[in-house]
Order: sequence, then C-alpha cells, then structure tokens
Amino acid sequence: MRIKSTKNSVREVDMTPMIDIVFQLIAFFMVINNFEQNQVDERVKLPRDQLARPREDVAEDNIVLNIGYIRNLEGVITSEPLVFYLGEQTPLLEFGPLLQKEARVLRGLKREAGDVTIEIRADGEIETGQIQEVIRMAQDAGFQKYTLKATQGDQN
Amino acid sequence: MRIRTSQQESLKQGPQMAPMIDIVFQLLIFFLLTLKIVEPEGEFQINMPINQPPRQSSEIALPAIKVRLIANEDGSLNSIQFGERNLGSGDDVFKRLNQVILQTVGGDQAGGANAADTEVEIDADYNLDYSYTIRAVSACTGAIDPVTNQPVRYVEKIKFTPPKRPAGAAPQL
Repeated sequence: MRIKSTKNSVREVDMTPMIDIVFQLIAFFMVINNFEQNQVDERVKLPRDQLARPREDVAEDNIVLNIGYIRNLEGVITSEPLVFYLGEQTPLLEFGPLLQKEARVLRGLKREAGDVTIEIRADGEIETGQIQEVIRMAQDAGFQKYTLKATQGDQN
Repeated sequence: MRIRTSQQESLKQGPQMAPMIDIVFQLLIFFLLTLKIVEPEGEFQINMPINQPPRQSSEIALPAIKVRLIANEDGSLNSIQFGERNLGSGDDVFKRLNQVILQTVGGDQAGGANAADTEVEIDADYNLDYSYTIRAVSACTGAIDPVTNQPVRYVEKIKFTPPKRPAGAAPQL
C-alpha cells in the first residue's frame, strides 16, 4: 500500500490578490492627488448654493483667485481681506499690479487676457465691494471673463 | 557521503515579498493621510466686459434689470429692490426675487430668447456679505426644476455695478 506523505505540503497564503488591491488603491490615491485642484485654498469658506453647477464644456484657461481671511482656531477673522495667490498672501487692494503682471505674461505668450477666465473663490463673509474691487482691477488689466465659485448644496 | 533529503529540495528560491509589501503599505498610508476631501464646487458666470464703444447695429439693446441689495451695518441683508419695487427682507426675499425675474423674462419662456437677451445688473452695498450676493446671483440666474432636479436658466448675463466705497475708506492703489 502506498502511503501519502503530508509533511512537505506547506499551505502558503496567496498574496497576489491582496497586492493587486493594494496597488489599485495606491494608483487611485495618486490619481486623486493629481486631480486635486492645487489652486484651491482651504482657508476660503465658500458660500453655498444649490444652483452652482460646474461647467459642462471643457475647462479653458483660467486664473483662480482665492479671496478670504486668516482665522484663528476659534474661527475669528484676524486679518484684512487677502488674496491667496501662488503661495503668497497679498492685501486685496494691492492685488492690481499682480494682475497687470499676469496680463503682461499672457501677452508675452502671444495670448489675450480677455480670453482667460478669472475664477473668483471668495469667502462668504467678505464684503461684496471687495469682490467688485478685484473685478475692477482685473478689468483694468484687460480680463473680461469671470466666474464666481460656490460650494454645491443648500444655503446655510 | 551525505544524501540530500527531499525536504531540502522543496525549499523555494522566490523573491522576498515582505519588504515590497512593507513599502506598499507605507505608500498606501501616506496617500490615505494626505487625501483631502474636497466638496464639489459650482460656478456662476458673470458678464463684465471692459467698457466697449456702442454697437453700430440697428439692434436696440434691452436695458439691464437693476437689482439693488441694501445691507445693514453688520453686513447682513436689509432688503432687496427690484427696479423701483421693494421686495422686502427675510429668508423668502430671494424666492420673491426669483419669481419677479421669471415674470420679467417671460414666464414660461424662461430659458428662451428672452433669457439670452436679458441682463441683470446687481448693485450691492459695499459692506454686504458676499454670501448674500451669491444668493442674489443665484436667484437671478434661475431655479432648480423640482421634477427633473436640473437647473433652469432665466438670465444668462449678470453683471455688477462698479464698487462704491464708503466715505473714509482706504484710497485706491
């Protein structure tokens, strides 16, 4: 009679599916991080509106202006209105020269400022007049297209 | 002479998976921790061209509908005026504004030719909180269709008046 030996049959865990899943998760998070809008500043508390919908057409060239305040841990405003742009904090009323500079850069690239959209991501507590000031400064620099950003959802 | 046993033969010479899995898990934890949950954002387009010379065509442009937003001293909304008509205040005021805009652009024809031609000019007090302005822009733009849950556009063109600084404000740079 032949006796089957079981000593050498080591049961190994099949790691392949687990590694597949883990790699897929890594790929997912990498893609999400890439798509995340780096121009979005989390210090800006956008107003909320249910009618605010993303554009259906292809996104064109744009300049994103994050306009808001610096707040302390309690959420109290501790600064004047600022424009958070390219890692710098510029007082809102001093932002005109930067917009002029952007328009000059565009002209250097043989492009028109009027074809570039200014996306305004402004804090809900900022004064409307300050937004009008930014639009006026952008108009002085030659920009003509504007969009106002809001978080999708019912008003608070 | 020593004879090799079958146990030694069964040992595998495979790649070391443990370090790779360690690294993979560390990468996974890194991406998990750095992930920011971003709320979906939408936008309103506003029409603010640089002052252009009047068109030479024979078309007569419709005058813009004036919506005036009056603020309290603390930046909250006091009342809304639609042309010469006072729409009052309160949470329902934006609904009333939405209704009069719909009546003005032509009731059932909203989204049609009138919507494309009509322009709304929002004249807000300087110190009004921006969130109220966005609500007014939204009320002028359209509404959500309760059946399809899709936005219906009443007005395509919305613009702001130039800023009117309060007396004693910082000079323009």
